[in-house]
Amino acid sequence: MSQAPIVRLQEVTKRIGSRTIIDRVSLDVQPGEVFGFLGPNGSGKTTTIRMMVGLMSLTSGDITIAGHSVKTAFRQAISRVGAIVENPEMYKFLTGYQNLVHFARMNPAITKARIDEVVELVGLQKRIHDKVKKYSLGMRQRLGVAQAILHRPSLLVLDEPTNGLDPAGIRELRDYLRLLAREEGTAVFVSSHLLSEMELMCDRVAILQQGKLIDIRSIGAQTESSSAAEEVLFEVDQPDAALGILEGQGAGRIVDGLLTITADRDLTAAVNRRLVEAGIRVYGIRKKTKSLEDQFLEVTGSDTIG
Amino acid sequence: MADFWKLVQNENMKIYRRPRTWIMFGFVVLVPVLISVLVAVMDGTDSMNNWELMRLESSIVFQLITVFAVVKAADSVAGEFTWGTIKLLLIRPWSRSSILLSKYISVLLFSLLFIAVCFAVTFTVNVAIFGYDASPKGLIPETSPLAGGSPWTYMGASYLLLFVSQIVIVTFGFMFSAAFRSSGLAIGLSIFLLLSGSLISGLLSLTGKAWIKFVLFPHLQLMSYLDSGTGPLPNHPTTLGFSLAVLAVYFVLFNLVSWTVFCKRDVAG
Repeated sequence: MSQAPIVRLQEVTKRIGSRTIIDRVSLDVQPGEVFGFLGPNGSGKTTTIRMMVGLMSLTSGDITIAGHSVKTAFRQAISRVGAIVENPEMYKFLTGYQNLVHFARMNPAITKARIDEVVELVGLQKRIHDKVKKYSLGMRQRLGVAQAILHRPSLLVLDEPTNGLDPAGIRELRDYLRLLAREEGTAVFVSSHLLSEMELMCDRVAILQQGKLIDIRSIGAQTESSSAAEEVLFEVDQPDAALGILEGQGAGRIVDGLLTITADRDLTAAVNRRLVEAGIRVYGIRKKTKSLEDQFLEVTGSDTIG
Repeated sequence: MADFWKLVQNENMKIYRRPRTWIMFGFVVLVPVLISVLVAVMDGTDSMNNWELMRLESSIVFQLITVFAVVKAADSVAGEFTWGTIKLLLIRPWSRSSILLSKYISVLLFSLLFIAVCFAVTFTVNVAIFGYDASPKGLIPETSPLAGGSPWTYMGASYLLLFVSQIVIVTFGFMFSAAFRSSGLAIGLSIFLLLSGSLISGLLSLTGKAWIKFVLFPHLQLMSYLDSGTGPLPNHPTTLGFSLAVLAVYFVLFNLVSWTVFCKRDVAG
Protein backbone atom coordinates (compact mmCIF):
# COMPACT_ATOMS: atom_id res chain seq x y z
CA MET A 1 0.00 0.00 0.00
CA SER A 2 2.93 2.31 -0.60
CA GLN A 3 1.51 3.54 -3.91
CA ALA A 4 -0.24 6.86 -4.06
CA PRO A 5 -3.98 6.24 -3.98
CA ILE A 6 -5.85 6.96 -7.20
CA VAL A 7 -8.90 8.15 -5.29
CA ARG A 8 -8.91 9.73 -1.90
CA LEU A 9 -12.05 10.75 -0.06
CA GLN A 10 -11.35 13.00 2.90
CA GLU A 11 -14.09 13.68 5.39
CA VAL A 12 -16.59 13.90 2.58
CA THR A 13 -19.88 15.30 3.78
CA LYS A 14 -23.08 16.09 1.91
CA ARG A 15 -25.96 17.89 3.53
CA ILE A 16 -29.19 18.71 1.76
CA GLY A 17 -31.18 21.07 3.93
CA SER A 18 -30.83 19.78 7.45
CA ARG A 19 -30.42 16.17 6.36
CA THR A 20 -26.92 14.76 6.33
CA ILE A 21 -26.79 12.37 3.42
CA ILE A 22 -23.10 11.55 3.65
CA ASP A 23 -21.33 11.98 6.93
CA ARG A 24 -17.53 12.39 7.00
CA VAL A 25 -16.63 9.49 4.72
CA SER A 26 -12.91 8.92 4.22
CA LEU A 27 -11.33 6.19 2.14
CA ASP A 28 -8.53 5.50 -0.33
CA VAL A 29 -8.58 3.36 -3.44
CA GLN A 30 -5.30 2.01 -4.82
CA PRO A 31 -4.41 1.68 -8.50
CA GLY A 32 -5.35 -1.72 -9.89
CA GLU A 33 -7.74 -2.43 -7.09
CA VAL A 34 -11.37 -3.47 -7.44
CA PHE A 35 -13.05 -1.62 -4.65
CA GLY A 36 -16.59 -2.42 -3.62
CA PHE A 37 -18.93 0.12 -2.16
CA LEU A 38 -21.62 -1.69 -0.32
CA GLY A 39 -24.70 -0.52 1.43
CA PRO A 40 -28.45 -0.95 1.63
CA ASN A 41 -30.65 1.16 -0.60
CA GLY A 42 -30.69 4.77 0.48
CA SER A 43 -27.39 4.56 2.31
CA GLY A 44 -25.74 7.18 0.10
CA LYS A 45 -23.74 5.09 -2.38
CA THR A 46 -25.01 6.89 -5.45
CA THR A 47 -24.65 10.28 -3.80
CA THR A 48 -21.02 9.55 -3.01
CA ILE A 49 -20.39 8.46 -6.59
CA ARG A 50 -22.11 11.57 -7.94
CA MET A 51 -19.81 13.68 -5.82
CA MET A 52 -16.77 11.77 -7.09
CA VAL A 53 -17.62 12.52 -10.71
CA GLY A 54 -18.69 16.11 -10.14
CA LEU A 55 -22.41 15.71 -10.66
CA MET A 56 -23.00 16.88 -7.10
CA SER A 57 -21.15 19.40 -5.00
CA LEU A 58 -19.56 18.55 -1.65
CA THR A 59 -20.81 20.27 1.46
CA SER A 60 -17.41 19.80 3.08
CA GLY A 61 -14.36 17.60 2.78
CA ASP A 62 -12.57 16.87 -0.47
CA ILE A 63 -12.21 14.18 -3.11
CA THR A 64 -8.98 13.90 -5.08
CA ILE A 65 -8.48 11.78 -8.16
CA ALA A 66 -4.85 11.16 -9.08
CA GLY A 67 -4.02 14.07 -6.81
CA HIS A 68 -6.45 16.55 -8.40
CA SER A 69 -9.31 17.85 -6.33
CA VAL A 70 -12.70 17.55 -7.98
CA LYS A 71 -13.56 20.88 -6.38
CA THR A 72 -10.67 22.99 -7.65
CA ALA A 73 -9.25 21.05 -10.61
CA PHE A 74 -12.32 19.28 -11.95
CA ARG A 75 -11.14 18.96 -15.53
CA GLN A 76 -7.81 17.36 -14.60
CA ALA A 77 -9.48 15.07 -12.08
CA ILE A 78 -12.31 13.92 -14.33
CA SER A 79 -10.08 13.33 -17.34
CA ARG A 80 -8.75 10.26 -15.49
CA VAL A 81 -12.19 8.86 -14.80
CA GLY A 82 -14.59 6.74 -16.79
CA ALA A 83 -18.00 6.17 -15.28
CA ILE A 84 -21.46 4.77 -15.56
CA VAL A 85 -23.75 6.41 -13.06
CA GLU A 86 -26.80 4.24 -12.55
CA ASN A 87 -28.15 2.87 -15.81
CA PRO A 88 -26.11 3.22 -18.96
CA GLU A 89 -28.32 5.82 -20.61
CA MET A 90 -27.33 6.51 -24.19
CA TYR A 91 -28.82 8.54 -27.00
CA LYS A 92 -31.38 6.06 -28.27
CA PHE A 93 -31.88 7.81 -31.59
CA LEU A 94 -28.18 7.47 -32.43
CA THR A 95 -26.35 4.28 -33.29
CA GLY A 96 -23.98 2.72 -30.80
CA TYR A 97 -21.09 3.94 -32.90
CA GLN A 98 -22.38 7.50 -33.07
CA ASN A 99 -22.74 7.44 -29.30
CA LEU A 100 -19.11 6.46 -28.96
CA VAL A 101 -18.02 9.13 -31.45
CA HIS A 102 -19.99 11.63 -29.42
CA PHE A 103 -18.15 10.83 -26.20
CA ALA A 104 -14.81 10.38 -27.95
CA ARG A 105 -15.02 13.96 -29.23
CA MET A 106 -15.22 15.19 -25.67
CA ASN A 107 -11.79 13.82 -24.77
CA PRO A 108 -8.58 14.83 -26.44
CA ALA A 109 -6.88 12.42 -28.83
CA ILE A 110 -9.21 9.45 -29.08
CA THR A 111 -8.57 7.97 -32.49
CA LYS A 112 -10.95 6.06 -34.69
CA ALA A 113 -8.74 3.02 -34.16
CA ARG A 114 -9.28 3.29 -30.42
CA ILE A 115 -13.05 3.37 -30.88
CA ASP A 116 -12.88 0.22 -33.02
CA GLU A 117 -10.63 -1.44 -30.47
CA VAL A 118 -13.06 -0.72 -27.64
CA VAL A 119 -16.02 -1.92 -29.71
CA GLU A 120 -14.23 -5.20 -30.23
CA LEU A 121 -13.25 -5.38 -26.57
CA VAL A 122 -16.87 -5.26 -25.43
CA GLY A 123 -17.95 -7.55 -28.26
CA LEU A 124 -20.37 -5.23 -30.03
CA GLN A 125 -18.84 -5.32 -33.54
CA LYS A 126 -21.91 -6.83 -35.17
CA ARG A 127 -24.47 -4.44 -33.76
CA ILE A 128 -22.50 -1.22 -33.30
CA HIS A 129 -24.13 0.49 -36.29
CA ASP A 130 -27.65 -0.26 -35.07
CA LYS A 131 -29.68 2.37 -33.27
CA VAL A 132 -29.36 2.08 -29.51
CA LYS A 133 -33.13 1.85 -29.12
CA LYS A 134 -32.87 -1.62 -30.65
CA TYR A 135 -30.32 -2.78 -28.07
CA SER A 136 -31.06 -5.15 -25.23
CA LEU A 137 -30.17 -4.06 -21.72
CA GLY A 138 -27.06 -6.22 -21.81
CA MET A 139 -25.89 -4.57 -25.01
CA ARG A 140 -26.53 -1.13 -23.56
CA GLN A 141 -24.47 -2.13 -20.57
CA ARG A 142 -21.62 -3.10 -22.89
CA LEU A 143 -21.91 0.17 -24.71
CA GLY A 144 -21.86 1.89 -21.34
CA VAL A 145 -18.62 0.15 -20.47
CA ALA A 146 -17.24 1.06 -23.90
CA GLN A 147 -17.87 4.79 -23.46
CA ALA A 148 -16.37 4.63 -19.98
CA ILE A 149 -13.07 3.08 -21.06
CA LEU A 150 -12.59 4.95 -24.37
CA HIS A 151 -10.00 7.31 -22.94
CA ARG A 152 -8.15 4.62 -20.94
CA PRO A 153 -9.11 6.01 -17.53
CA SER A 154 -7.08 5.23 -14.43
CA LEU A 155 -10.30 4.94 -12.50
CA LEU A 156 -13.51 3.28 -13.56
CA VAL A 157 -16.56 4.18 -11.50
CA LEU A 158 -19.58 1.92 -11.84
CA ASP A 159 -22.81 2.45 -10.00
CA GLU A 160 -24.83 -0.75 -9.62
CA PRO A 161 -23.39 -2.18 -12.84
CA THR A 162 -25.10 -5.55 -12.58
CA ASN A 163 -28.60 -4.10 -12.32
CA GLY A 164 -30.81 -5.81 -14.84
CA LEU A 165 -28.09 -8.05 -16.25
CA ASP A 166 -28.65 -11.77 -16.63
CA PRO A 167 -26.23 -14.19 -14.91
CA ALA A 168 -24.11 -14.58 -18.02
CA GLY A 169 -23.88 -10.82 -18.41
CA ILE A 170 -22.93 -10.39 -14.77
CA ARG A 171 -20.21 -12.98 -15.08
CA GLU A 172 -18.87 -11.41 -18.23
CA LEU A 173 -18.75 -7.98 -16.65
CA ARG A 174 -17.05 -9.37 -13.58
CA ASP A 175 -14.36 -11.13 -15.59
CA TYR A 176 -13.87 -8.04 -17.67
CA LEU A 177 -13.43 -5.74 -14.68
CA ARG A 178 -10.97 -8.16 -13.16
CA LEU A 179 -9.01 -8.19 -16.39
CA LEU A 180 -8.98 -4.42 -16.61
CA ALA A 181 -7.68 -4.11 -13.08
CA ARG A 182 -5.02 -6.74 -13.60
CA GLU A 183 -3.83 -5.92 -17.11
CA GLU A 184 -4.16 -2.17 -17.29
CA GLY A 185 -3.84 -1.32 -13.61
CA THR A 186 -7.20 0.42 -13.73
CA ALA A 187 -8.76 0.97 -10.35
CA VAL A 188 -12.41 0.00 -10.32
CA PHE A 189 -14.82 1.58 -7.89
CA VAL A 190 -18.06 -0.33 -7.95
CA SER A 191 -21.17 0.14 -5.87
CA SER A 192 -23.79 -2.47 -5.28
CA HIS A 193 -26.23 -3.88 -2.81
CA LEU A 194 -25.68 -7.38 -4.20
CA LEU A 195 -23.41 -8.82 -1.60
CA SER A 196 -22.50 -12.13 -3.14
CA GLU A 197 -21.65 -10.31 -6.34
CA MET A 198 -19.27 -7.98 -4.55
CA GLU A 199 -17.66 -10.92 -2.82
CA LEU A 200 -16.72 -12.39 -6.18
CA MET A 201 -15.64 -9.16 -7.78
CA CYS A 202 -13.81 -7.05 -5.25
CA ASP A 203 -10.49 -6.94 -3.47
CA ARG A 204 -11.83 -4.73 -0.74
CA VAL A 205 -15.24 -3.53 0.26
CA ALA A 206 -16.40 -0.52 2.20
CA ILE A 207 -19.72 -0.74 3.94
CA LEU A 208 -21.86 2.34 4.08
CA GLN A 209 -24.92 2.73 6.20
CA GLN A 210 -27.07 5.81 6.54
CA GLY A 211 -24.31 7.94 5.10
CA LYS A 212 -21.65 6.69 7.49
CA LEU A 213 -18.75 4.47 6.58
CA ILE A 214 -18.91 1.66 9.09
CA ASP A 215 -16.28 -0.76 7.86
CA ILE A 216 -13.64 -1.40 5.23
CA ARG A 217 -12.36 -4.93 4.85
CA SER A 218 -10.39 -7.04 2.41
CA ILE A 219 -12.23 -9.94 0.86
CA GLY A 220 -9.08 -12.10 0.66
CA ALA A 221 -8.40 -11.90 4.38
CA GLN A 222 -11.61 -13.65 5.25
CA THR A 223 -10.76 -16.87 3.47
CA GLU A 224 -7.09 -17.01 4.41
CA SER A 225 -7.59 -18.18 7.99
CA SER A 226 -8.12 -21.81 6.96
CA SER A 227 -5.96 -23.34 9.69
CA ALA A 228 -7.90 -21.75 12.53
CA ALA A 229 -10.77 -23.55 14.20
CA GLU A 230 -14.07 -22.95 12.48
CA GLU A 231 -17.59 -24.17 12.61
CA VAL A 232 -17.77 -27.44 10.70
CA LEU A 233 -21.02 -28.99 9.58
CA PHE A 234 -21.46 -32.76 9.25
CA GLU A 235 -24.34 -34.15 7.31
CA VAL A 236 -25.07 -37.55 8.87
CA ASP A 237 -27.94 -40.06 8.92
CA GLN A 238 -28.47 -40.04 12.72
CA PRO A 239 -27.50 -36.64 14.12
CA ASP A 240 -28.59 -37.42 17.67
CA ALA A 241 -26.67 -40.69 17.84
CA ALA A 242 -23.66 -38.94 16.34
CA LEU A 243 -23.82 -36.25 19.00
CA GLY A 244 -23.82 -39.01 21.64
CA ILE A 245 -20.73 -40.62 20.17
CA LEU A 246 -18.89 -37.33 20.21
CA GLU A 247 -19.74 -36.72 23.88
CA GLY A 248 -16.56 -35.51 25.48
CA GLN A 249 -15.22 -34.35 22.15
CA GLY A 250 -16.11 -30.73 23.04
CA ALA A 251 -19.16 -28.68 22.29
CA GLY A 252 -21.14 -30.22 19.48
CA ARG A 253 -24.71 -29.25 18.68
CA ILE A 254 -27.33 -29.86 16.09
CA VAL A 255 -28.33 -26.99 13.81
CA ASP A 256 -30.98 -27.56 11.15
CA GLY A 257 -30.39 -31.31 11.32
CA LEU A 258 -26.67 -30.90 10.82
CA LEU A 259 -24.11 -31.86 13.40
CA THR A 260 -22.13 -28.72 14.10
CA ILE A 261 -18.81 -28.65 15.93
CA THR A 262 -16.00 -26.19 16.27
CA ALA A 263 -12.88 -27.79 14.90
CA ASP A 264 -9.65 -27.18 13.03
CA ARG A 265 -8.51 -29.39 10.14
CA ASP A 266 -7.05 -32.24 12.22
CA LEU A 267 -9.97 -32.43 14.58
CA THR A 268 -12.36 -32.49 11.63
CA ALA A 269 -10.61 -35.58 10.27
CA ALA A 270 -10.58 -37.25 13.68
CA VAL A 271 -14.26 -36.63 14.22
CA ASN A 272 -15.04 -38.03 10.82
CA ARG A 273 -13.13 -41.25 11.59
CA ARG A 274 -14.89 -41.76 14.90
CA LEU A 275 -18.28 -41.28 13.33
CA VAL A 276 -17.53 -43.73 10.55
CA GLU A 277 -16.12 -46.30 12.96
CA ALA A 278 -19.27 -46.01 15.05
CA GLY A 279 -21.34 -46.89 12.00
CA ILE A 280 -22.73 -43.41 11.35
CA ARG A 281 -23.13 -42.59 7.67
CA VAL A 282 -21.43 -39.30 6.84
CA TYR A 283 -22.86 -37.76 3.68
CA GLY A 284 -20.97 -34.52 3.70
CA ILE A 285 -18.61 -32.28 5.62
CA ARG A 286 -18.29 -28.57 5.04
CA LYS A 287 -16.99 -25.50 6.73
CA LYS A 288 -19.45 -22.88 7.66
CA THR A 289 -17.80 -19.80 6.17
CA LYS A 290 -19.42 -16.56 6.96
CA SER A 291 -20.57 -15.04 3.73
CA LEU A 292 -20.21 -11.36 3.15
CA GLU A 293 -23.94 -11.23 3.51
CA ASP A 294 -23.80 -12.56 7.07
CA GLN A 295 -21.07 -10.13 7.90
CA PHE A 296 -22.89 -7.32 6.22
CA LEU A 297 -26.07 -7.93 8.13
CA GLU A 298 -24.03 -8.37 11.27
CA VAL A 299 -22.40 -5.00 10.78
CA THR A 300 -25.33 -3.03 9.51
CA GLY A 301 -27.79 -4.61 11.91
CA SER A 302 -31.10 -3.97 10.22
CA ASP A 303 -32.02 -2.44 6.92
CA THR A 304 -33.51 0.75 8.24
CA ILE A 305 -33.70 3.39 5.58
CA GLY A 306 -32.33 6.55 7.10
CA MET B 1 -11.29 26.57 -29.83
CA ALA B 2 -11.07 23.63 -32.23
CA ASP B 3 -11.91 21.44 -29.27
CA PHE B 4 -14.88 23.56 -28.35
CA TRP B 5 -16.18 23.22 -31.90
CA LYS B 6 -16.31 19.47 -31.30
CA LEU B 7 -18.88 20.06 -28.58
CA VAL B 8 -20.99 22.06 -31.02
CA GLN B 9 -20.52 19.26 -33.55
CA ASN B 10 -21.90 16.83 -30.96
CA GLU B 11 -24.94 18.98 -30.37
CA ASN B 12 -25.46 19.33 -34.10
CA MET B 13 -25.30 15.56 -34.46
CA LYS B 14 -27.98 15.19 -31.81
CA ILE B 15 -30.17 17.69 -33.67
CA TYR B 16 -29.78 16.53 -37.27
CA ARG B 17 -29.68 12.79 -36.63
CA ARG B 18 -33.23 12.92 -35.39
CA PRO B 19 -35.97 12.33 -37.94
CA ARG B 20 -38.14 14.99 -36.35
CA THR B 21 -35.67 17.67 -37.41
CA TRP B 22 -36.28 16.72 -41.01
CA ILE B 23 -40.02 16.74 -40.50
CA MET B 24 -39.61 20.32 -39.30
CA PHE B 25 -37.47 21.01 -42.33
CA GLY B 26 -40.24 19.63 -44.51
CA PHE B 27 -42.74 22.06 -42.98
CA VAL B 28 -40.48 25.04 -43.59
CA VAL B 29 -40.19 24.08 -47.25
CA LEU B 30 -43.76 22.92 -47.86
CA VAL B 31 -45.74 25.68 -46.17
CA PRO B 32 -44.55 28.50 -48.49
CA VAL B 33 -44.81 26.31 -51.57
CA LEU B 34 -48.36 25.36 -50.65
CA ILE B 35 -49.45 28.94 -50.01
CA SER B 36 -47.95 30.17 -53.27
CA VAL B 37 -49.55 27.42 -55.29
CA LEU B 38 -52.94 27.99 -53.65
CA VAL B 39 -52.82 31.72 -54.35
CA ALA B 40 -51.74 31.13 -57.94
CA VAL B 41 -54.51 28.60 -58.53
CA MET B 42 -57.26 30.62 -56.88
CA ASP B 43 -56.39 34.22 -57.81
CA GLY B 44 -54.11 33.76 -60.82
CA THR B 45 -50.51 34.89 -61.08
CA ASP B 46 -51.29 38.58 -61.68
CA SER B 47 -53.01 39.28 -58.39
CA MET B 48 -49.83 39.66 -56.32
CA ASN B 49 -46.16 40.25 -56.88
CA ASN B 50 -43.49 37.87 -55.66
CA TRP B 51 -42.43 40.14 -52.78
CA GLU B 52 -45.82 40.52 -51.17
CA LEU B 53 -46.31 36.80 -50.97
CA MET B 54 -42.75 36.31 -49.76
CA ARG B 55 -43.40 38.74 -46.91
CA LEU B 56 -46.61 36.96 -45.94
CA GLU B 57 -45.09 33.51 -46.05
CA SER B 58 -41.95 34.57 -44.23
CA SER B 59 -43.93 35.97 -41.32
CA ILE B 60 -45.83 32.69 -41.03
CA VAL B 61 -42.77 30.48 -41.41
CA PHE B 62 -40.85 32.59 -38.89
CA GLN B 63 -43.40 31.69 -36.24
CA LEU B 64 -43.01 28.06 -37.21
CA ILE B 65 -39.23 28.29 -36.98
CA THR B 66 -39.47 29.97 -33.58
CA VAL B 67 -41.58 27.08 -32.32
CA PHE B 68 -39.17 24.53 -33.80
CA ALA B 69 -36.12 26.26 -32.36
CA VAL B 70 -37.79 26.36 -28.94
CA VAL B 71 -38.51 22.63 -29.21
CA LYS B 72 -34.81 22.09 -29.97
CA ALA B 73 -33.80 24.31 -27.06
CA ALA B 74 -36.12 22.34 -24.81
CA ASP B 75 -34.74 19.00 -25.99
CA SER B 76 -31.19 20.19 -25.84
CA VAL B 77 -30.93 20.51 -22.07
CA ALA B 78 -34.15 19.28 -20.47
CA GLY B 79 -34.10 16.33 -22.87
CA GLU B 80 -30.69 15.24 -21.63
CA PHE B 81 -32.08 15.18 -18.10
CA THR B 82 -35.11 13.17 -19.23
CA TRP B 83 -32.97 10.71 -21.16
CA GLY B 84 -30.48 10.44 -18.27
CA THR B 85 -27.64 11.19 -20.67
CA ILE B 86 -26.77 14.40 -18.81
CA LYS B 87 -24.84 12.20 -16.37
CA LEU B 88 -22.59 10.98 -19.16
CA LEU B 89 -22.27 14.43 -20.67
CA LEU B 90 -21.14 16.25 -17.55
CA ILE B 91 -18.46 13.76 -16.47
CA ARG B 92 -16.10 14.79 -19.27
CA PRO B 93 -13.19 17.19 -19.01
CA TRP B 94 -15.36 20.18 -19.89
CA SER B 95 -16.82 22.86 -17.70
CA ARG B 96 -20.57 22.95 -17.48
CA SER B 97 -20.63 26.44 -18.95
CA SER B 98 -18.80 25.23 -22.10
CA ILE B 99 -21.30 22.43 -22.50
CA LEU B 100 -24.24 24.78 -22.06
CA LEU B 101 -22.70 27.29 -24.49
CA SER B 102 -22.25 24.59 -27.12
CA LYS B 103 -25.92 23.71 -26.75
CA TYR B 104 -27.01 27.32 -27.00
CA ILE B 105 -24.90 27.88 -30.10
CA SER B 106 -26.24 24.76 -31.78
CA VAL B 107 -29.81 25.96 -31.21
CA LEU B 108 -29.00 29.37 -32.69
CA LEU B 109 -27.33 27.69 -35.67
CA PHE B 110 -30.44 25.60 -36.14
CA SER B 111 -32.56 28.71 -36.18
CA LEU B 112 -30.18 30.47 -38.60
CA LEU B 113 -30.15 27.51 -40.96
CA PHE B 114 -33.94 27.33 -41.04
CA ILE B 115 -34.19 31.08 -41.61
CA ALA B 116 -31.82 30.77 -44.54
CA VAL B 117 -33.93 27.94 -45.94
CA CYS B 118 -37.06 30.03 -45.40
CA PHE B 119 -35.53 32.94 -47.31
CA ALA B 120 -34.35 30.74 -50.16
CA VAL B 121 -37.62 28.85 -50.52
CA THR B 122 -39.98 31.84 -50.25
CA PHE B 123 -37.88 33.81 -52.73
CA THR B 124 -37.39 31.06 -55.29
CA VAL B 125 -40.92 29.72 -55.23
CA ASN B 126 -42.53 33.13 -55.66
CA VAL B 127 -40.17 34.26 -58.38
CA ALA B 128 -40.84 30.98 -60.16
CA ILE B 129 -44.61 31.36 -59.97
CA PHE B 130 -45.18 35.12 -60.05
CA GLY B 131 -42.05 36.34 -61.81
CA TYR B 132 -39.52 38.85 -60.48
CA ASP B 133 -40.82 42.34 -59.83
CA ALA B 134 -37.95 44.84 -59.54
CA SER B 135 -40.01 47.72 -58.12
CA PRO B 136 -42.96 46.16 -56.36
CA LYS B 137 -45.99 48.17 -55.25
CA GLY B 138 -47.78 47.20 -52.07
CA LEU B 139 -44.78 45.59 -50.40
CA ILE B 140 -43.45 48.48 -48.35
CA PRO B 141 -46.13 50.49 -46.48
CA GLU B 142 -46.21 54.27 -47.01
CA THR B 143 -45.54 54.81 -43.32
CA SER B 144 -42.34 52.82 -43.37
CA PRO B 145 -39.03 54.62 -42.98
CA LEU B 146 -37.88 52.50 -45.92
CA ALA B 147 -40.81 53.57 -48.15
CA GLY B 148 -39.79 53.83 -51.78
CA GLY B 149 -36.63 51.84 -51.18
CA SER B 150 -35.46 48.54 -52.62
CA PRO B 151 -37.46 45.41 -51.78
CA TRP B 152 -34.17 43.69 -50.87
CA THR B 153 -33.45 46.23 -48.16
CA TYR B 154 -36.96 45.90 -46.80
CA MET B 155 -36.91 42.09 -46.76
CA GLY B 156 -33.42 42.07 -45.27
CA ALA B 157 -34.50 44.44 -42.51
CA SER B 158 -37.61 42.37 -41.72
CA TYR B 159 -35.59 39.17 -41.49
CA LEU B 160 -33.14 40.87 -39.16
CA LEU B 161 -35.86 42.21 -36.86
CA LEU B 162 -37.75 38.93 -36.83
CA PHE B 163 -34.54 37.09 -36.06
CA VAL B 164 -33.80 39.38 -33.09
CA SER B 165 -37.20 38.67 -31.54
CA GLN B 166 -36.75 35.00 -32.25
CA ILE B 167 -33.43 34.93 -30.40
CA VAL B 168 -35.06 36.44 -27.34
CA ILE B 169 -37.92 33.93 -27.38
CA VAL B 170 -35.55 31.00 -27.92
CA THR B 171 -33.33 32.25 -25.09
CA PHE B 172 -36.42 32.41 -22.90
CA GLY B 173 -37.24 28.79 -23.76
CA PHE B 174 -33.62 27.76 -23.27
CA MET B 175 -33.74 29.23 -19.79
CA PHE B 176 -36.67 27.03 -18.81
CA SER B 177 -34.93 24.08 -20.37
CA ALA B 178 -31.59 24.65 -18.64
CA ALA B 179 -32.65 26.07 -15.32
CA PHE B 180 -35.88 24.24 -14.69
CA ARG B 181 -35.21 21.10 -16.73
CA SER B 182 -38.77 21.15 -18.01
CA SER B 183 -39.18 20.87 -21.74
CA GLY B 184 -42.96 21.15 -21.51
CA LEU B 185 -42.77 24.41 -19.61
CA ALA B 186 -40.09 25.70 -21.98
CA ILE B 187 -42.14 25.01 -25.08
CA GLY B 188 -45.48 26.07 -23.62
CA LEU B 189 -44.38 29.39 -22.19
CA SER B 190 -42.30 30.31 -25.23
CA ILE B 191 -45.25 29.74 -27.53
CA PHE B 192 -47.35 31.84 -25.20
CA LEU B 193 -44.74 34.60 -25.45
CA LEU B 194 -44.72 34.27 -29.22
CA LEU B 195 -48.46 34.32 -29.76
CA SER B 196 -49.77 36.60 -27.06
CA GLY B 197 -47.19 39.34 -27.49
CA SER B 198 -49.32 41.64 -29.62
CA LEU B 199 -52.44 40.99 -27.56
CA ILE B 200 -50.75 41.82 -24.31
CA SER B 201 -48.99 44.88 -25.66
CA GLY B 202 -52.35 46.17 -26.91
CA LEU B 203 -53.78 45.62 -23.45
CA LEU B 204 -50.84 47.22 -21.73
CA SER B 205 -50.88 50.34 -23.87
CA LEU B 206 -54.35 51.17 -22.50
CA THR B 207 -52.90 52.02 -19.12
CA GLY B 208 -50.84 55.14 -18.64
CA LYS B 209 -48.15 53.73 -16.34
CA ALA B 210 -44.58 54.49 -17.38
CA TRP B 211 -43.23 51.02 -16.45
CA ILE B 212 -45.20 49.53 -19.35
CA LYS B 213 -42.29 50.54 -21.54
CA PHE B 214 -40.05 48.06 -19.78
CA VAL B 215 -42.26 44.99 -20.13
CA LEU B 216 -40.88 42.40 -22.50
CA PHE B 217 -43.95 41.58 -24.60
CA PRO B 218 -44.42 44.74 -26.72
CA HIS B 219 -40.77 44.88 -27.73
CA LEU B 220 -40.98 41.54 -29.45
CA GLN B 221 -43.14 43.27 -32.11
CA LEU B 222 -40.15 44.93 -33.74
CA MET B 223 -41.80 44.83 -37.18
CA SER B 224 -43.96 47.74 -36.13
CA TYR B 225 -40.92 50.04 -36.47
CA LEU B 226 -40.42 48.88 -40.01
CA ASP B 227 -44.04 48.98 -41.14
CA SER B 228 -45.64 51.86 -39.27
CA GLY B 229 -42.50 53.73 -38.32
CA THR B 230 -43.62 53.91 -34.68
CA GLY B 231 -43.11 51.69 -31.64
CA PRO B 232 -45.39 48.82 -30.70
CA LEU B 233 -47.07 50.80 -27.88
CA PRO B 234 -49.37 53.46 -29.41
CA ASN B 235 -49.62 55.56 -26.25
CA HIS B 236 -45.97 55.23 -25.31
CA PRO B 237 -43.68 56.34 -28.09
CA THR B 238 -40.44 54.38 -28.14
CA THR B 239 -37.54 54.15 -30.55
CA LEU B 240 -36.07 51.05 -32.15
CA GLY B 241 -32.91 51.61 -30.13
CA PHE B 242 -34.93 51.65 -26.92
CA SER B 243 -36.71 48.42 -27.82
CA LEU B 244 -33.41 46.73 -28.68
CA ALA B 245 -31.94 47.88 -25.36
CA VAL B 246 -34.91 46.44 -23.43
CA LEU B 247 -34.58 43.17 -25.33
CA ALA B 248 -30.85 43.09 -24.62
CA VAL B 249 -31.48 43.44 -20.89
CA TYR B 250 -33.96 40.56 -20.93
CA PHE B 251 -31.58 38.54 -23.10
CA VAL B 252 -28.78 38.95 -20.56
CA LEU B 253 -31.14 38.22 -17.70
CA PHE B 254 -32.42 34.96 -19.22
CA ASN B 255 -28.90 33.79 -19.96
CA LEU B 256 -27.72 34.69 -16.48
CA VAL B 257 -30.45 32.53 -14.97
CA SER B 258 -29.69 29.63 -17.35
CA TRP B 259 -25.98 29.66 -16.70
CA THR B 260 -26.06 30.25 -12.96
CA VAL B 261 -28.58 27.53 -12.25
CA PHE B 262 -27.17 24.99 -14.71
CA CYS B 263 -23.58 25.37 -13.52
CA LYS B 264 -24.42 25.20 -9.83
CA ARG B 265 -27.12 22.60 -9.62
CA ASP B 266 -26.63 19.08 -8.33
CA VAL B 267 -27.54 16.47 -10.89
CA ALA B 268 -29.62 13.91 -9.05
CA GLY B 269 -32.30 11.40 -9.81
